[in-house]
Amino acid sequence: MKHGRFAIGLVGVAAVVSYLVWTGVSNTMVYYLTPTELMAKASSDPTFHDVGVKVSGKVIPGSYEKVPGELLHRFRVQGLQDPSVTFPVEYRDALPDTFTDDAQVVLEGRLRADGVFEATTVLTKCGSRYEASPDQLAG
Amino acid sequence: MTVLGEFALWLALPLAIWGGVLGFVGGRTQRGELILSAERSVYGIFFLLLLASAGVVAAFLGDKFQYWYVASYSNRELETFYKVAGLWAGQRGSLLFWALLLSFFASVCVWLNRKKNREFMPYVVGVLQAITVFFVVVLLFAKVNPFERLPFTPANGQGLNPQLQNYWMTIHPPTLYLGFTSFTIPFAFAIAALLNGRLDARWIVLTRRWTLLSWLFLSVGIVLGMRWAYEELGWGGYWFWDPVENASLLPWLTATAFLHSIQIQEHRGMLKVWNMSLVVLTFLLTVFATFLTRSGLIESVHSFAENTRIAIIFLAFLGSVTAFALVLVLYRLPSLRSENRIESFFSREAAFLFNNLILLGAAFTVMWGTLFPLISEAVTGEKVSVGPPFFNRVNIPIGLALLALAGIGPVIAWRRASRRNLKKNFFWPALVGLGVGAILWAIGARHPMALLTWALGAFVLTIVGVEFWKGTRARARIEGEGYAPAFYHLVTRNRRRWGGYIVHVGIVVIFMGLAGAAYNQDVRKFMEPGDTVQVRSPFGEQYTLTYQGISSSVGRGQRNLLWQAVALVDVAVDGKAAGTLTTEKRQYVTSQQLMTEVGIRSTPWEDLYVILSAVDNVEGVLRNDPGAQAVTLQVLIKPLVGWIWYGGLVLVFGSLIALWPSVERNRPAEQETTDVPAVVSA
Repeated sequence: MKHGRFAIGLVGVAAVVSYLVWTGVSNTMVYYLTPTELMAKASSDPTFHDVGVKVSGKVIPGSYEKVPGELLHRFRVQGLQDPSVTFPVEYRDALPDTFTDDAQVVLEGRLRADGVFEATTVLTKCGSRYEASPDQLAG
Repeated sequence: MTVLGEFALWLALPLAIWGGVLGFVGGRTQRGELILSAERSVYGIFFLLLLASAGVVAAFLGDKFQYWYVASYSNRELETFYKVAGLWAGQRGSLLFWALLLSFFASVCVWLNRKKNREFMPYVVGVLQAITVFFVVVLLFAKVNPFERLPFTPANGQGLNPQLQNYWMTIHPPTLYLGFTSFTIPFAFAIAALLNGRLDARWIVLTRRWTLLSWLFLSVGIVLGMRWAYEELGWGGYWFWDPVENASLLPWLTATAFLHSIQIQEHRGMLKVWNMSLVVLTFLLTVFATFLTRSGLIESVHSFAENTRIAIIFLAFLGSVTAFALVLVLYRLPSLRSENRIESFFSREAAFLFNNLILLGAAFTVMWGTLFPLISEAVTGEKVSVGPPFFNRVNIPIGLALLALAGIGPVIAWRRASRRNLKKNFFWPALVGLGVGAILWAIGARHPMALLTWALGAFVLTIVGVEFWKGTRARARIEGEGYAPAFYHLVTRNRRRWGGYIVHVGIVVIFMGLAGAAYNQDVRKFMEPGDTVQVRSPFGEQYTLTYQGISSSVGRGQRNLLWQAVALVDVAVDGKAAGTLTTEKRQYVTSQQLMTEVGIRSTPWEDLYVILSAVDNVEGVLRNDPGAQAVTLQVLIKPLVGWIWYGGLVLVFGSLIALWPSVERNRPAEQETTDVPAVVSA
């Protein structure tokens, strides 16, 4: 009897943890997409405009502009595999130091219904950030 | 020197194999000369790996850029200090460093046990040398040899990432590695116990200091990493739930569970299989953490390289250790039966068991969140990730449950707590906790999780305070001592127990500091010189920051610096001038990216944290053009953040008390329940 009650306690802990993980995942998960996948999802499912996504791409050189006197940045991003897919981005915060107008970026945010990607975070990817290959050293 | 080092690394492989085989064979056959030879091989490995590491350091100091590793992590301009630290700056050196530390601890362990615990030592040596073989094999054959040469000699190296050029960063990885590697000793003893069949609590008693030492290093390593992130990464936080941070947290969580559950086995002869599983799991997680940090399996700001061969070797190692331990535990299962049963929910056993389950639950959620992108991609083909919101949401309730148990566990009675025991131990602390909660509510604190943390923290602190008071008073009365000597003798007679209480205080202080983040203030503003920004702290002070301007200088100070631009910000608190903060952008010779240096004004209650988020016109600032001074500043108020570091110090202090060798080691005072009869009622 006592043993049984104790097992209920153990199952209880496991159930609470699983519940926390389950609700945690379903409320905070972020899709990681390429620009092509993002466009396909958004056009087939309009509710997708409210879902948080992470999207990786490359800033189109020359597309960057800063709205003067304000903390607002605009630029266009193109797909890494398919450069023909592009979309405009708006970002209301300070850009990371590593941002340049031909950087590879990972954007977090949502694609608004007007087709503008409203980024809440901009991360820059830099392949040689920590370690370079010998070929890079040679170059 | 470097050639000698490379030679030493190659020589280490046959010697470690020899020592490992001899350890196991010596343990089986009990032949003294084999065992002695195996033990000596441990010292030999340490010597060889020391030579190999010295070879790497010599290559760094001598600017030997023909070595890939040196060329990738150093350059001529790097300060000597960081050249030495180059040993653990990258994947290759880190793996060598890991093996070196392991062989160091193995040597200490063999030396300490040269005359005792002979039934364990051959197997312990066998296990330790087998792990050494694994790391040496990785170094030599997984394309991560630190002595690999380039086909040419570059004129100069790539230089060290400036973010790693920070004193915290030079001590944070070694501290974590000390924690990872020293946990190998309890693991080796556990496996030795499974092999020699001595499955009572002996192996636990022999290794509990090692476990605590490892836990201390892990804790300090994690806190140092937080401190580094806070000071150097310049985004205003200390923990981002990055895969590598998580990787260091995972073994800490399971080691914490182990540290508690072994007490149940020592006192009640229960949880034997559980303890075996925890020690194996923790060891696996230390190796997993090393692997995750150094393999780039999951994209992370810390990951150093991508190399699939090393991933396969590491996973194969983890898999074989798991299988080996599983077979041994199953084989010994009849001897691992519990000697007692848990009798009641309201008992110390139950509290400790819940503590364990919750810690494991936390480890599971952290693991799940970290590997979620991989799992989801494998199962659904869609790459889905979870970030800090997931970890915070899940782990805050878990952390609160742990906090409550940190108060309940140490004082609730063994076996079955009576109503009287519960009332005597928990009535006043619960009242104090509720009181603190009510007062904070009354003065306007409304964040439920933060409020709960502080109330529970007050509950735990009261329990610990009362314990110290009752123990001192009882001793003063019984021994006829003054209160000060009574207090001193109380602690020194049972360092483990009272040191443990102090560690709990440290954890409470850290948790209270973490909860302060619920009241962080965050303001960003685009500013011209003379502009002000005001932030009100949750404690009521009004901070007024006046941006004074920015000036740049070229290449002064550090040799690797190309230029730096320093923004001056005057700070006033409630209208009174309170000094000037600086925040900078820096460009280093060796990297394309800009670095941000933040300005921090610390008080015991809160930090003012100023980030130069962006410079509007970099070229103008570099010309020191008075018309191009506009910047974006981010101003943060971080209440109680300092408590995390203070709590860390308390934790170290408590651990050291528990670790300190006690003079009267073999007296019954070591047993937790016997020294203060007034406190523990059955």
